[in-house]
Amino acid sequence: MFKFVPYVLKSLWRHRARTLLTVSGTAVALLVFCFIGSVQQGLLALTSDASADRTLIVFQENRFCPQSSRLPQDYGGTIAKMSGVRDVVPIKVFTNNCRASLDAIVFQGMPPEKLTTARDLSLTSGSMGSFAQQDDAALVGADVATRRGLAEGDKFTIGDVSVVVRGVFQSSVAAENNLIYTHLEFLQRARGANDVGTVTQLEVHLADGVDPDHVAKQIDQEFRSGPVATTTRTKGMFQADTLGDLAELIGFVHWLGYACVGLVLSLVATTTVMSVQDRIKEHAVLQTLGLRPLRVFRLVLIESVVLSTLGGILGVVGSVLILSSTGMSVAAEGVTIAFEPSAVLAVQGLIVSLAVGILAGLAPGWHASRTEIVPALRHA
Amino acid sequence: MSLVDVLNVTKEYANGEETIRPLDGVSLSIEEGDYVSLMGASGSGKSTLLNLIAGIDQATSGEINVAGTEITKLSRGKLADWRAAHIGYVFQTHNLIPVLTAYENVELPLLLLPMSAAERRKRVEIAMEAVDLTSRASHYPRQMSGGQEQRVGIARAIVANPTVVVADEPTGSLDDETTEQILQLLSRVNDELGMTLLMVTHDADAGKRAKRQIRLERGRLMENGKETTSAHLRTA
Repeated sequence: MFKFVPYVLKSLWRHRARTLLTVSGTAVALLVFCFIGSVQQGLLALTSDASADRTLIVFQENRFCPQSSRLPQDYGGTIAKMSGVRDVVPIKVFTNNCRASLDAIVFQGMPPEKLTTARDLSLTSGSMGSFAQQDDAALVGADVATRRGLAEGDKFTIGDVSVVVRGVFQSSVAAENNLIYTHLEFLQRARGANDVGTVTQLEVHLADGVDPDHVAKQIDQEFRSGPVATTTRTKGMFQADTLGDLAELIGFVHWLGYACVGLVLSLVATTTVMSVQDRIKEHAVLQTLGLRPLRVFRLVLIESVVLSTLGGILGVVGSVLILSSTGMSVAAEGVTIAFEPSAVLAVQGLIVSLAVGILAGLAPGWHASRTEIVPALRHA
Repeated sequence: MSLVDVLNVTKEYANGEETIRPLDGVSLSIEEGDYVSLMGASGSGKSTLLNLIAGIDQATSGEINVAGTEITKLSRGKLADWRAAHIGYVFQTHNLIPVLTAYENVELPLLLLPMSAAERRKRVEIAMEAVDLTSRASHYPRQMSGGQEQRVGIARAIVANPTVVVADEPTGSLDDETTEQILQLLSRVNDELGMTLLMVTHDADAGKRAKRQIRLERGRLMENGKETTSAHLRTA
C-alpha cells in the first residue's frame, strides 16, 4: 500500500491551494479544539485537585468578590485550636478585576513563613530570603511573568499596588502560576488603606482523616454570632462556586469543541469529494491497470487522513506552543483557571483529526471504488 | 483452445426506456501472437467488445475466456487482479496520470505485482527504451507531446508483459506523422516482443497494419471483406 503514497501526496500537491486551505482550516479548528480542551482541563484540575479536598476556605458570608470579604485575622487563632486543623493561613487577596478576565492580576498576601509551608513552589529565579526581607517584595508566578514580561528586580505596579519582583516561581498547581504572592501586611496597608487585622479569607489545612464538612460546619457555627459570619467550603467547592458562571460558560463552550470537530469533518469531506469528482476518470484508469476497488477506496481514505492529520498536527503543535509560551489564563473573582496544554490533550487532538480523516474519506472512497470503469473513462 | 475465446456474447444497456444491444451473440477467437484490428462504424460495438475482453466491462450473457480464465465469472476484485497480470491497455486519450512522471506512469502496473524495486526499475527501463523515451523519463505528461504521451501509454501497457495488449483507437487523437510512428511501434510490440495485440480503430489504413482485420457490421463480424465462418471468427 505504501507504494502508492507518493501518488497520494503528489495528487494532494497538484491542487495545492485547495490542500493548503483545507489543512489550514483543519489546523485552526484543531487549535480552537485544543484551546477549549485546555480551559476545561484547567478548570478540572482546579476543582478536582486532591489538596482541594483537604483544605478549607473560610470567606465572609454572602460575599463573592475578594474585595468585599473582610474577615478578622484573629479568627485564624480560634480555628487553629479546633480539632483536626493542622494549620491556618491568613490571606489578603487583591485583584484588578473581579469579573471574568483573560488578564486579571491576582495578588495574594500571606505571611512569608507560611508561603513556604502552604505552597509547593520552586523558584526559577530570585530567592525566598530576599522576598522575606523586603516588605514590598513579590514572588511572581511563571505565567504572569511571561504575560507581563516580568523578571527579578523589576518593579510592577497595578491598581495603586507597587511591588518589587524578588523571584519567579513555578507551582505544581498550574493555576497558581498566575498569582503574585506578597507579604500579608504589605497588602493590608496597600493603596493607603489600613486593613491590618483584616483578611479576605482563611485557608485551613486539615489533618489526614478529618472530615472536612464537619470542620467547615464547626467553623461557621463558631462565628455565626461573631462580628462577621463566615461561609466555609473545601477549596475545590469554593473555587467551583466562585467560578460558577464561568464554569457554566466553559461547560457550554465544550459544544464549540464538538462544532470544531464537525467543521473539520465537513471541510475534509468536501475537499475529498471534490478531489474524487475531479478524478473520476483517473480512478477508472487506475482500475483498468488493475487496482482493486478496495485499493482505490484506501487511496481516497489515505488522502483524506493525510489532509486531516496534517491539519491536526499543525493545530495541536500550534496550540501547545501558544499555550506554553503565553501562559494564558482566565480569572474571575480572584480565582484563576490556567489554560493547561498537556500531552493527553495533544494526543486527543491527533486522534480526533485521524478519526475525522477516516470518517470524511468513507463516503467519497466508497463512491470512487464503486465507479463503473467504462462510463468513467468517457468522463471529460 | 485459443488465447482469447469470446463465445456467444451479448451486451445490452439501457438508454432511457430503450435497450441498446451493441453486441448480440458475438463469438471470436484470437490466437497467441495475433495482431488483430477491429474496425467498424461508430456505435458498432467494437470498443464494447474490446472492453469486455479487457475485463473492464461486464457482458450481459455469454462467455469470455482469456488465457484459460473465464473472466465473466470473476468478482470485481479478482477481475482487477486478473487485469493487472494479463491486460495491457492503450487508451485513445493516453490517460496518463498527470501528477506522475513518464517513468512513474510506466511503473504503475508493476506496483500491483509481487516484484522487487530492482526488478521494477529494470522492467521500466526496458519498456522506456522500447518506446525510445528514456530521455523523457523524468518528464510529466504536460511536458510531452501527444505522440510522446501515447508512447508512454504503450510502455505502460507492455511493461508487465501482459497476455494481451488492447488498444482502443490508439491513433485517434494524433496527427498523420505521429500516427505512423505509433502504428510502427505497435507492430514492433507484436513482431519483436511477440505480444498478442487487439486494436480497435475506425481508420482503415491503420487497421490494415494488423495481421488480421475484422469488421463489426450490424452485429456481424466480417474478415477480409466476407462474413467469416472460420474457426477464428464466428457469429452466433
